[in-house]
Amino acid sequence: MKPLLQVAPKRGVPGIAKKAISYRLLRVNVNGAWHEFAIGRDIAPNMTLAFLLREKLGLVGLKLGCDQGACGACTVLMDGKAAVLSCMVLAVQAHERHILTIEGLPEDDPVVESFAEQSAPGYGTALQCGICTPGFVMTVKGFLNENPDPTLAEIKEALSGNICRCGCYAGIAQATLRAAEKMRIKRTRESA
Amino acid sequence: MSTKPQAREPYTPRTPRKFIGSYRPRIDAKEKASGKVQYIDDITLKSRFPDLLYAKVMRSPHAHARIKSMDIGPARALPGVIDILTYKDPEVASLKPTNAGWTDGVDTVSYDSMMWRHFRDRRVLGDYACWVTDEVGAVVAAETEAIAEEALKLIKVEWEVLPFVLDPLEAMQPGAPLVHPEISSNNVLPKDLVGGDDVFIDKGDVDKAFAEAEVVVDGTSTHHNATQGSLDNWCCVVEWRGGKLTLQSNSYEADQSRMHISQMLDIPIHNVRVISSYVGGQFGRGDTGDQPFFIFTALLAKRTGRPVKFRHTRRESFHDSRQPAIYYAKVGAKRDGTITAMYFKSIGNSGAYADHTMFALKFAPVEIAEVALARIPNIRMESYGVYTNKLPACMMRGVGNSQFNLSFSHMVDRLAEALDMDPIDLALKNFTHEWGTLPDKSLSEVLRQGANRIGWTEKRNKQAGNGPTYPGAKKRGAGFSFHPAWHAEWQEARRGAIHAGITVNPDCTVLLEAPTVETGSGSNTCNVLGCAEALSFLGITLDDIQWSHVVDTETSMKDCVQTDSAVSFLQSEVLAHAAREIKNQLLAKAATAMKASADDLDVIDGHVFVKAHPELRMTVRNVLFSGDIRPLMVKIALPPNVTKTGVPYIATFAEVEVDIDTGKTEVLKMVVINDCGTVMFASGAEAQQIGGQCIGVGESLTEEIIYDRMTGVPLNFNWIDYKIPTMADMPDIEPVLLEVWKGAGEYGACGIGEGTVTCAPRAILNAIYNAIGVRVNDIPVKPEVILKALGKA
Repeated sequence: MKPLLQVAPKRGVPGIAKKAISYRLLRVNVNGAWHEFAIGRDIAPNMTLAFLLREKLGLVGLKLGCDQGACGACTVLMDGKAAVLSCMVLAVQAHERHILTIEGLPEDDPVVESFAEQSAPGYGTALQCGICTPGFVMTVKGFLNENPDPTLAEIKEALSGNICRCGCYAGIAQATLRAAEKMRIKRTRESA
Repeated sequence: MSTKPQAREPYTPRTPRKFIGSYRPRIDAKEKASGKVQYIDDITLKSRFPDLLYAKVMRSPHAHARIKSMDIGPARALPGVIDILTYKDPEVASLKPTNAGWTDGVDTVSYDSMMWRHFRDRRVLGDYACWVTDEVGAVVAAETEAIAEEALKLIKVEWEVLPFVLDPLEAMQPGAPLVHPEISSNNVLPKDLVGGDDVFIDKGDVDKAFAEAEVVVDGTSTHHNATQGSLDNWCCVVEWRGGKLTLQSNSYEADQSRMHISQMLDIPIHNVRVISSYVGGQFGRGDTGDQPFFIFTALLAKRTGRPVKFRHTRRESFHDSRQPAIYYAKVGAKRDGTITAMYFKSIGNSGAYADHTMFALKFAPVEIAEVALARIPNIRMESYGVYTNKLPACMMRGVGNSQFNLSFSHMVDRLAEALDMDPIDLALKNFTHEWGTLPDKSLSEVLRQGANRIGWTEKRNKQAGNGPTYPGAKKRGAGFSFHPAWHAEWQEARRGAIHAGITVNPDCTVLLEAPTVETGSGSNTCNVLGCAEALSFLGITLDDIQWSHVVDTETSMKDCVQTDSAVSFLQSEVLAHAAREIKNQLLAKAATAMKASADDLDVIDGHVFVKAHPELRMTVRNVLFSGDIRPLMVKIALPPNVTKTGVPYIATFAEVEVDIDTGKTEVLKMVVINDCGTVMFASGAEAQQIGGQCIGVGESLTEEIIYDRMTGVPLNFNWIDYKIPTMADMPDIEPVLLEVWKGAGEYGACGIGEGTVTCAPRAILNAIYNAIGVRVNDIPVKPEVILKALGKA
């Protein structure tokens, strides 16, 4: 990363020569819009991506459940495909990258819809308190990108980095199957 | 090959209804699935409170220690530190001693009437630390969390390090370090008004009955301290300006929190405003509305004149836990399986503070004796809560019942084996409530359904450990555990009046006041369904009803606390009454508009009509828009119906596979059966049945707080080493909803969510025994426990 931003000090400090301060600039695209932050001024170099998204951009869909990569509640997508734990990624590592948070999903997103609709007898709902849900939704988005036709066993493996203490795992697995089905139908329609 | 989405057979309702009991999404499902619901940490972003300060409290590095001296100078000099409150400051030192056991959440209590007023063993901020992590000494308010943390490191403390004790049996020995010498001279909690004597039940002649019993079995089991593990860490923001204090938090007891703050800080109630909204999971955490950190955060807000935010880190979220309990039990019976005597003795590890220890150890068993052991002629129960220097034990989902059940269903399984009986037959022969007959109708159906669904006759080895060995040295077995529910309406008498309100707008839309802090239990959906059902004469749909998720003590009616998972029906019972009043108001208004007597009118499906001439009719909407256009409004407060009706039963059946080479246990299948009285919201109820097993299986197999015995330091206060089950760890779980029992109210329902965790551990333990033929009785059952039991380690 090169220093990209130079800022003249507002006031000279007595006894010290007035000198321009240069900052390295972090450029990150979040949900389609580019944002720039001067590292050391707007954000700290050790700031996590999760903190940047929540505190600096107000994107509070992602949650900080454990802050150590154990619960998956902070999951976002990087460069359109891969799910990453934003509490384990430094903000500066997102330089020139595209980040998608749950706020960036359309209202009719098939994964969001499937999580909301899940209520079939025998499997419960896909959410109760809902605090882990954005993390699960983004993890499922990333997973279905990689594996559009998953089996139940593959889903259980893929979502085992996320914790739902309400224990809606059965409903979440069903919602994931339903989302895959919705996406299959959409693909078939589009190719027809 | 991809898998198709699945569905099972729906339950069969006793009385088909339009809304109540339906399979449908939660009312907040769309908002939650799209990430739009905001929790306390989201609502209290710095950008929304530009002058926000962050508070961090000092925590003891020692299991047992006293602060001899403290120097905050260097910390105070750190740029960005705005204030440091210490235990020596007069506003702190003058605070009344307190505890975290004001109430079990059922009723609102004052300082004088708090449930465990005999154990006021906590200072909001003192100099005495009773466990590693105890909040003591000082709280820093700074511009950022990082600065506040840095400041804590700069506070110099000279500690008087004291000897400590972790094990309750050691703590009871003479000469053991005393945790709260001013309360107990032997670490055993003294007699209190709520819990009663050490021997708190002594019915019949137990000694004689055991002497005469033809078969006697006994055994010991230990339930450990799991933690609630809510993803939504404790958090609050307090503003205190111009005499008025406002607390926003994820406490689920708004009214009680207000009372707590008012009484601790001596502020008139109308100057305290408490606001709570959606909470990201509760599970009994801080089931008392009295968190001491509310108080020191408030004092910092007053001193700085700025809003102050306090939030636990994940490490700090290990703040309370289930009471660990060692249960010894003995049961005597006749050869035909008639139980003649039962004896239970429990020793609970309170940890550093008493909190609700005696609720778990005495209150819950007393209820169980009343509703399940009514026909056992001779019963003795005794309990001892013991202070140690461990994480305090407070409330957790299934409080007291989970610990008791681990012992209770152990005895049933063991006695059945000694008598060569099926444990199902033994259970049906003995257990019911005093208003029921034997066999108990609810228990019969619960166990019949469980046996059918798990495949009891095929899956259970006739002789424990004698089944086939599957590839890789794996043995399979089946077991079950059952328990009386404890959330019937009559058991909620202590709540007092339950508030609810209905406003019908002129366009026939409805504002529903069913104030409660929604923690995920789904009671909000139950209440909207209940409201729609009760107002079905208006011809409305669910979309016509608006339920407010914010509880604000300044504008809301009193909130009904999410304990006993009873909010799922308690408010609906009141709404049924409110709806009748709305109907009266509507007919009175229609009488004017239709120039008829209200008595001659009725309303069905959105139309008011003259009973004798149904063709003379008006739409409800037209009635409401006639004359004085104002909303119909009813606000009522009614106590629960306390007619005693006994309780229904719950059970969990499990099939397990144990690898006898590695000791690993895998749960293959679980069936969770709840007799609900009336199913209020089927998808939500099944989500609770399935979901409870995340805690149940975790407590059984993987979740455990581990201490360094040399230092008393807890080693795994994080989610990597404290292992909460994920999707990959969970078996297929079949939820079974039944409507056999019925309470006295309109719906006669019974809360189910809390109890869904209770039977899991013993069901799994009985299944393990059935698989390998060796009993393990303590949880969690880690592989080394199995190997040890098998003589392999």
